[in-house]
Amino acid sequence: MTDRLSVIFAALADPTRRAILARLAEGEATVTELAEPFDISLPAISRHLKVLENAGLISRSRSAQWRSSRLEAEPLREATAWMERYRRFWDDNFARLDAHLKRMQEEGS
Amino acid sequence: MTDLVITRIFDAPREMVYRAFTDPDQLSAWFGPVGWSVPRDSVDMDVRVGGHQRFTMVNDADPAMTSPANATFVEVIENELLVGEENVAHIPEFGADVLRLRIEFHDEEGGRTRLVLTQSPFPEAMAGDAREGWGSSFTKLDKLLA
Repeated sequence: MTDRLSVIFAALADPTRRAILARLAEGEATVTELAEPFDISLPAISRHLKVLENAGLISRSRSAQWRSSRLEAEPLREATAWMERYRRFWDDNFARLDAHLKRMQEEGS
Repeated sequence: MTDLVITRIFDAPREMVYRAFTDPDQLSAWFGPVGWSVPRDSVDMDVRVGGHQRFTMVNDADPAMTSPANATFVEVIENELLVGEENVAHIPEFGADVLRLRIEFHDEEGGRTRLVLTQSPFPEAMAGDAREGWGSSFTKLDKLLA
């Protein structure tokens, strides 16, 4: 479980972190701004940001005082593409199952 | 968590859809994406808890390209539920140790069947509470990035 995609998915596994990403999709934000909608402490938000940063999902400006975070789209695309591959696999499969069930019903009737 | 959930309505009764997944003759008749087939003689199934499900998908254009599946049933309720687990630790790009596939068969009005497929790529240890609400969040993010 050490490959890049696993790290990304692990980071995405938390609802608070997903909400943070959704917020950052609208634009850069500081820790204080990100903490606003949540009933959790700033240090807790910072910990979430650290996880997201390690996964490459966000980057953070170096200015200590107004440290703002921004979304990095590429890892998220990677994760989405991974999911999409399997979704397509099943879509294809189910189209065939549909046809198969029709055949079976015609034969049965 | 990182579950892939797909819901599909099939215009056939539940028993029939269930049979399409559990009868080797039927599975080999439809399973596999376009361009792939599942030879009947590659299908070996023992549909009960602890039983196995084995088959091989073969590429139609290049039969040397194959993709074997070898899962163990962990939950079986006839005409209602199939849960299988497959060890995928040997597939590096998978990024997980166990692939869990859950297929629910529900009655839908008009003699149809609602099938709910859940594919969970990650070990149980990582799932837990985080699993909830994953699908919708993901779709939402997806839209935001589109």
